[in-house]
Amino acid sequence: MRIAGLPLLAGLDRRAVTLLALLLIGLLFVPAVAGPYLLSIMILVLYFAYVGQAWNVMMGMAGQLSLGHSLYVGLGAYVAAALFVHAGIGPWIGALAAMAVATLAGAVIGYLAFRFRVGGVYFALLTIAFAEFTRIGFDHMTWLGGSAGLFLPVAQRERNDLWSLRGDPVMFYYVILGMAVTALALCRHLARSRIGFYWRAIREDPVAAEALGIDVFRYKMLAAMASSAMTAPAGVFFAFYYNNLFPEQIFSMLRSIELILGPIIGGLGTLFGPVLGAFVLTILAEALQEALQTLGWQIPGIKQVFYGFCLLLVIVFLPNGIWPPLARRLGLDVR
Amino acid sequence: MTGRPAKPQSNRGFALTRRAFAAGAVGLAAAASLPRARAQTLAPLKIGVLLPKTGVQAFFGQSCQRGADIAPALLAELGYAVKIELMNADTETSVDTARARAEKLINDGANVLIGPFDSGAATAIAQVAEQRGVPFVINIAAAPQITEQGYKFVFRNFPTSGMLITNGLTLMKDMFKATGTTPKTAVFMHVNDTFGQANRNAVEALFPRFDMPFRILDTISYDPAARDLSVEVAKAKATQAELLMVTTRINDAILLIREMVKQRWEPMGVMSPGSPGMYEEQFFTSLGKNSDFMVSNVPWFNPRSEVASLVTAAFKKQFPNDRMIGHIFNVGFTFEAVLTAADAYQRAKSTDGKALAEALRATKIAKRVMIGGPIAFDAKGQNVEIGAAALQNRNGEPKVVLPAEAAEAAPVFPMPGWTKRG
Repeated sequence: MRIAGLPLLAGLDRRAVTLLALLLIGLLFVPAVAGPYLLSIMILVLYFAYVGQAWNVMMGMAGQLSLGHSLYVGLGAYVAAALFVHAGIGPWIGALAAMAVATLAGAVIGYLAFRFRVGGVYFALLTIAFAEFTRIGFDHMTWLGGSAGLFLPVAQRERNDLWSLRGDPVMFYYVILGMAVTALALCRHLARSRIGFYWRAIREDPVAAEALGIDVFRYKMLAAMASSAMTAPAGVFFAFYYNNLFPEQIFSMLRSIELILGPIIGGLGTLFGPVLGAFVLTILAEALQEALQTLGWQIPGIKQVFYGFCLLLVIVFLPNGIWPPLARRLGLDVR
Repeated sequence: MTGRPAKPQSNRGFALTRRAFAAGAVGLAAAASLPRARAQTLAPLKIGVLLPKTGVQAFFGQSCQRGADIAPALLAELGYAVKIELMNADTETSVDTARARAEKLINDGANVLIGPFDSGAATAIAQVAEQRGVPFVINIAAAPQITEQGYKFVFRNFPTSGMLITNGLTLMKDMFKATGTTPKTAVFMHVNDTFGQANRNAVEALFPRFDMPFRILDTISYDPAARDLSVEVAKAKATQAELLMVTTRINDAILLIREMVKQRWEPMGVMSPGSPGMYEEQFFTSLGKNSDFMVSNVPWFNPRSEVASLVTAAFKKQFPNDRMIGHIFNVGFTFEAVLTAADAYQRAKSTDGKALAEALRATKIAKRVMIGGPIAFDAKGQNVEIGAAALQNRNGEPKVVLPAEAAEAAPVFPMPGWTKRG
C-alpha cells in the first residue's frame, strides 16, 4: 500500500515508512543509550552518510566521477571558519556563504569539463587537480593560517549554543543527524523529480539522452553545482566540530577517497546506499578493531586493510553495492 | 595465549590436621590484613597513548611509541612505586580518528591520555579530554593555540613554535660568539607545510626583536613533496648570503644538501633554528661526509643527564636492532610525557581526573631526559622551561655543541667546504 499524504513519503509503501520511522526513532535515541565513544562513532557514520549522499548526486545520479570532493568540504570548512574567526559571523550564515563558494567552484569545474566534453577518468583527474591546487593555494594564504592551520576558538560553555555551533557532542550529533535526514529527503525529492530522471538518462547514455532532447550540458552543470553545494555544509560541520583546519588534511586526496567509499559499498545511485555504506564501513571497522583488541592483537592499519577487503568483496560479489540485494530481500524499492 | 586451568593432581578428600589448621589460621590472618595492604598499593595508572602509527606520520608515531614502551620498566628503575598500564591507539594521522580513539580510550578506562605528535590531532583530543575531565599530556605538538584555549586538563611538555624559534635564534648567536665568526647575511629556505609555515611566521615575528647580527636577504619556500630543489637552491645561491637558515623535513633536507654540493654552493654554514631533518639517520646514510657540520637547534636529549643514560640503556635493551640516535627526539619527549603522568599519579594517589590534573599542575621534575629546566607547567598548562641544544653533525652523528653544560664537542663554524672533508 502506497503512502500519498506527505509529499516526501509519497510513493513509499507502508513497510518502507515503518522501517524508516523505526530507524529514525532509533537514531534519535542514540545519545540516550550510547556512551561518548559510541556517540563519536555515530557522528562519524552520519557525517560519512551525509557527504556520501552529496557525492552520490554527482556520481550515482548523474554518472560524473568526481575524485576531488574534498575540495568542496575544504572550501565549506574554510569559508565558514574564516567568517567566524575574522568577522564573528555564525556558522549557519557561514554555511550559506560556504555553499555559494562551493557552488561557484563546482560550476567552474563543471563548465570546464562539460563545455569541452571532458568525461570519464579525465573528468576525475580534473577534479583531483582542482582539489590539489586549492590545497597548495590555501597553504600560502596566511590570512587563513596557511599550512600552519586555522584554529577556531574553543570555549568551555555551560550550555550548548546551537547558533554558534559551540557545545557538546550530543548537540553535534543532532546537527549531523538533521543534516543527514535533510540530505536523504532532498535526494529523494531530486531523484523523483524531472531533473532526477534526466540525470539518470545522462548517466545511462548521454548520447541517447541528448537525442531525446535533454540539455546534457545544463543538467550535468546542475548536478555538479547541486553536489558541491550539498557537500559544503559537511565542511562547516567538520570545522566547528574539530575546531582546526589544515589544508593538507581537509583538501587531501585521502579525504576524497574516504567519502566515496560509503556510497560505492552501499550502492551507487541508490538513496539508502550511502547511508548503509557509511554504517557498514565505520561500524564494522570499529567492531573489528575492538574484537582484535579483545584478543590482545594490535594491528596498525587494519582498518585500511578492512576497507580494501570490503571494496574487493563488493566489486566481486555485489557490484551494485550492498543495498540493492538487501532492499529486494526486505521487499523494498531499491532506489 | 591463555593457558588452561591446571588439572587437579588428586581428588582425595581433605582431612583436617593440626598442620592444616595452623596453615589455615595463618592464611586467614594474612587475608584479614589484605584490605589495608590493597589500600596502600595503588591500582595501575591506565595511560592512553595516542600516536599516528599509520598514514603519513607513521614513522614518527612508531618512533614515539618506543618511548612509551620502555617506560613501565624504567619508571620502576627510577624509583617510582606506581605501576602504569599502556593502552595504545592509532590516530591514523587523521583528526577524525584521533578524536574517536580518544573517546574510546577514555571509555575503556584510560585515566590519562598522552600523544599525539600532531597539532591538529592534539586540538581534537584536547576537546575530548576537557569534556570528559581526563588529563591530556602532549608529547609533541607545537601549535601555540592548543594551550591558549583556557583548558584545565591539557598539559604540554613541548615548546610552542615561538619557543622553538626563540631557542633556535638564541643558540645561533651563542654559536657565533663561541666560534668568534659572525655571518652578515642569510637566506631562509623552508618547507611549506604546517610546521614550516609556523616556523616562518615565528622567524618573521621574532627576528626583529632578537637583534640578530645578520640580515635575511630572501625567504624561499618549497612544496613538501618537491622532488627537485635545483631552482630554489640556485635562487638562494644567487643571493650570495653567508648563512643558509633552513626549516626542513628529512627528504627535502637530503635533496637540499645534494643540490648545494652539485651547485658548489658553500655558505659559512647551514643552520636550522628548530626543525627535524638534518639530525636524522637517513640524512647521514644518504649524504655520508656531506652530512657533517650542519647545525640543528632543537630540543634534545641531555647527554649528561642520568635519566637520559637510563633511557638510552632501556631503549638498547628493548630495541636492540634500532639506533637510538634516530629516535632520540621522539622517544625522549614521549617518555617524559609518561613520566609526567606517573609522577602526578604518585603524588595524587588517585586516578580521578581532577586530582590528577591538580597534581600535574604542581609538577616539578628536575631529573629529566631533555635539555632544559624542570618539567613544570604554567597556568595555561604549558611547560615554558624546555631548552634546546645546538646539534652539529660530526662523523655521521649529531653531537651537542651548545649549551656548554651539555656539550659533547666544540662547535665548528664556518663549516669546511664540500671538497675539504677528507
